[in-house]
Amino acid sequence: MKRRDFVKGFAVATATASTALGQQQPASNAAEHNGAGAHPSPQPPPRTARAEQMARFHTPSIPLSQPDAVAMTEARYFTPVRYATLVHLCEIMMPAGDEYPSAMKAGTPEFIDFFIGASPADKQTMYNDGLDRLNADTLKQFKVPFAKADEKQADAVIRPHLKGWMNDHPPREGQERFINLAHRDIREFTMNSPAWAAAAEASGERTPGVGLYWYPIEPGIQTWVDHHGAARTASAAKHKQA
Amino acid sequence: MAQKKVDVLIIGSGHTGGMAAKILTEKGISCTMLDAGPMLNFERYRELKPAHELPFRGEVAPGRLPHVYQASDFNANFWVDEKTVPYSYPQGQQYNWVRVRSIGGRSPVWGRQSFRLSDYEFKSRDHDGFGENWPINLKELAPYYSRVEEIFRVTGHTDGLPQYPDGNFIEDNSPWSGAMQRFVDAGKKLGVPVTKPRSSLGKDGLASSINLLLPDAVATGKLTTIPNAIVRQITVDKNTGLADGVVFVDRHSHREMTMKARVVVVAAGTMETTRLLLASEICNSSGALGRYLTDQIYGAGIICSVPEARDGKGAPGLMGGGALIPRFRNLETKSNGFLRGYAVNVSCSNGPFDARALPYYGKELEAKLQSYNGSHFSTNIMGETLGHYENQVTLNKQLLDAWGMPTLNINTKYTSNETNMAKDYIDTMAAMAEAAGFDILVKNYEFNPPGYSIHEQGTARMSDDPKKGVVNRWSQSHDMKNLFITDASVFVSAGWQNPTITMCSLAMRASEYLAEEMRKGNV
Repeated sequence: MKRRDFVKGFAVATATASTALGQQQPASNAAEHNGAGAHPSPQPPPRTARAEQMARFHTPSIPLSQPDAVAMTEARYFTPVRYATLVHLCEIMMPAGDEYPSAMKAGTPEFIDFFIGASPADKQTMYNDGLDRLNADTLKQFKVPFAKADEKQADAVIRPHLKGWMNDHPPREGQERFINLAHRDIREFTMNSPAWAAAAEASGERTPGVGLYWYPIEPGIQTWVDHHGAARTASAAKHKQA
Repeated sequence: MAQKKVDVLIIGSGHTGGMAAKILTEKGISCTMLDAGPMLNFERYRELKPAHELPFRGEVAPGRLPHVYQASDFNANFWVDEKTVPYSYPQGQQYNWVRVRSIGGRSPVWGRQSFRLSDYEFKSRDHDGFGENWPINLKELAPYYSRVEEIFRVTGHTDGLPQYPDGNFIEDNSPWSGAMQRFVDAGKKLGVPVTKPRSSLGKDGLASSINLLLPDAVATGKLTTIPNAIVRQITVDKNTGLADGVVFVDRHSHREMTMKARVVVVAAGTMETTRLLLASEICNSSGALGRYLTDQIYGAGIICSVPEARDGKGAPGLMGGGALIPRFRNLETKSNGFLRGYAVNVSCSNGPFDARALPYYGKELEAKLQSYNGSHFSTNIMGETLGHYENQVTLNKQLLDAWGMPTLNINTKYTSNETNMAKDYIDTMAAMAEAAGFDILVKNYEFNPPGYSIHEQGTARMSDDPKKGVVNRWSQSHDMKNLFITDASVFVSAGWQNPTITMCSLAMRASEYLAEEMRKGNV
């Protein structure tokens, strides 16, 4: 297509689109535009004026809440026995503080159930095996499941596996790895919960866990094209027609 | 629109692409810069948020970015999606390739540690017989280092150590904290120098291409910057055998476009540069393209508590500050079990203690955290790894990225050299910490997989000998005199140093050489 033809075609397409959109505008807007047209000074076409008006529109302030304030996460990944073990592990590892909620109050067991349920298989295996081992150890030592163990009994099967470790390098051995990583998860998901933030606010502390969040940058990495394939090039289309 | 031939085409807009743009445009040369990613808009894309408002309470989404240990719920959108631009490695040889695609490349997240290489690195083969020497030495690069340090506003202390060359610093004469002074003294007894850190102040806490380099190029009016342009191939003039442009794909539409250029500067980042050269089937008469990949080991360290700082009893000035231990092994004497050396980042903090270092839980842990608050002392290694011939990246034509480009297979692994180095490091640091009177809580001998440091180097190394290297001492391709490489792919050896200041100095030097060659009509 020659450039002149292209420009002409573009102008027609724009006018058509403007007309179609213009039909959807309320009568009062149309009246405004007509009124503006009565002045001799150059004015933007109606569609452009409308776009400019919309671009100046500021977002209204509407207070938002986290879903955790009104709803519960339904646990559905772990088996009932494993979930009961996890719940008690959360109770033991992170009880309520003077002013801060417990892991239970923060919804941490449900969140871990969701998170691990969506995790890669190796992490799921680590959790499943670790919870099974905790239960087996308390049954063997005290003839009760971990979920029914008292603090002393729970401590007897947890403490031998606790190790100090540094970032990215948790212990490698199976149960040591599970206990220390589960402990890390329980603490992190509790301290980063809406309930914890509410407690901080109530006690006059600064909002915890604030960081610099990056939104998706000019979304397009996962574009329509990625899912549906690139558009045919003009030359290929012509070739096909010929 | 008629296609015009640009004077210099720069592929990549990170620190070295930015430096090339700055130097060349300031010399009056028009440059066009392509970057595979979008322009960053800090106001639009970033916001302070609490973790509880994020989808995964601060953790990166399950299964997302498994090789980017630096990823979190906060920054997950910043890194290259491993499913969109995948890569592969042989089973059991994990490689953590950490990438960013946006104008400025990885420079906005640079840690800003700023070091010169010494002749222990430039002439490493002369020193220990492994690998090759660089074709240049410190004396040749020193004037460029000075200018780069001025641009980046490097702060540091003049120490007079040959393995830790001094530079054009904003002098740091701050005193040591009490705990740090004890560690310094412990080092003296063992012959380990503990020095002040050296880092770039930049401007407003940012020392990136987009705020320190590209604005100068833009001010000349001679820079054209095209975002979202994924270069698929460097094209070659069949008559001259020289590079004559590129084929690139628009990131959003996948529209393919061609562009002609008199000179091509490749600054896409070490392995992206090599991927592009391999895909273009150019610059490999030496057979060295893709080989000698190297980086640095990170992750091993110790965590201590300073007893006098516990329970809120720390006197003013006892805690705080950082330090840098430059390489001290294999200088005048030889260590058993490993070649080269390591440096150490030292941190002394009066902030909260890391709960992971304390083997307690529940109320007992909370009591310990309260007691240990303000007593944290830790070290972290930066160890040179060896660029073996077998450490190689190759094209994987069976696995394509989202834009149809062959991906990389990264074949590299650490050896006993790195393991022995890490052991020596932990044992030495533990001895110093004990001598300083600190309680050692964690000794971690394990280091992170290759790539973690984000300091990948080599795969298009420089050499005076066209049979041994991809580029010459001016970062100019031996095969195509109008193609230059300015990123760390030209490094011959890694050293222990953060490579950025050296990359920028080499890019400055190469760009000035290129400008002069263009003026003479040689390119």
